[in-house]
Amino acid sequence: MFALSGLVTIGLFFFPAIVIRPFAYQAPRALWWAMAIRQRAPMPALFAGLLCLGLGLVLWRTVDIWRRVALTIVMLLVTFSAVMARINYFEWMFHPVDDVRFQVEEQSKLDAGEMIMAVRFGNDARAYPISEMAYHHIVNDVVGGVPVTVTY
Amino acid sequence: MLHFYLAGINNQNFLMRDKETGTWWQQITGKAIYGPLQGAALELVPSDELTFGEWKAEVSGGKVLAPVAKYTKEYDSKWEPEVAKLPVVISFPGTALKSRDVVVGLTIDGAARAYPWGVAVKQSPIVDHLQGTPLLLAVGPDKKSFRVFVSRVDGQETEFFLKSETKDWVLLDTATASEWNFQGCATAGPSQGKCLDRIPALKDYWFDWRNYHHDTTIYKH
Repeated sequence: MFALSGLVTIGLFFFPAIVIRPFAYQAPRALWWAMAIRQRAPMPALFAGLLCLGLGLVLWRTVDIWRRVALTIVMLLVTFSAVMARINYFEWMFHPVDDVRFQVEEQSKLDAGEMIMAVRFGNDARAYPISEMAYHHIVNDVVGGVPVTVTY
Repeated sequence: MLHFYLAGINNQNFLMRDKETGTWWQQITGKAIYGPLQGAALELVPSDELTFGEWKAEVSGGKVLAPVAKYTKEYDSKWEPEVAKLPVVISFPGTALKSRDVVVGLTIDGAARAYPWGVAVKQSPIVDHLQGTPLLLAVGPDKKSFRVFVSRVDGQETEFFLKSETKDWVLLDTATASEWNFQGCATAGPSQGKCLDRIPALKDYWFDWRNYHHDTTIYKH
């Protein structure tokens, strides 16, 4: 039961994380499972993780030093997995723009040769520098009353 | 209104999710691929990829996304040569282009075509036909900005050439002999005041364009 709950918790984080990783090929079926699991993982991983930790503490009393080392390693992995199942680590690699702000053209320090993405609705014309978008990847904005998501 | 965040990667094109439903969306297609809104598609907004200098010349009173102070060291204007060295996870050997060749990709009535960037810069203005629609691919005076238009004036198909005796970037059309600017609008001649219709186009790596457009053709002059 300890092993099962541990495996479930670890699997709920690691399966999607291993499938959806940069510089690896995603097959359609594997991607589907990864999204399905990642979507549902946070609560089950928490419950399975707590169960595993509880059982681990109970087992702790009854085993020798070597089994305690093994228990500790598993419980650390389980804690890591239960926490990471609720954290979007992609946003650690590429921080989002939490507070979208704009400068008027004259204030901007961009070079004339720098590439931008430009959108206009009515009189509202906006430029999104590609050097900035290539890092943040996504900006949610409203241009001339139209909600847009700028992506790069 | 949906608010999106970065959620993963799928063969080097990113995945995003919306905060409102948790649905997963593919960046390049804007389609929901898993979750409560699966099957939905975001509407592509007309946009340009051009230089800041070109944009400033065309627009007044525009706003520029401000840099975020704590991340400015991550912004790299020269990211393209760095990324060009990175490995690809999906490739199409046997096609005429290499994985990280840059193309201008567009679709008309379900048919897709890729214009290799080097060819576009050298041969601009390019007039082509796709699904019976005549189109004009123009690379701007800065050799970095690009736009694609429907190559018709008052319903009549026309070709375009760069006017050679002037240092300004001006296109001439063969139907009305009017002068056209990079915004696709006639500034002199019988068509003055008229503007060509735009065709959405995307600059992409060949491997990504081909991955999402299996039947794409490649422009050949």
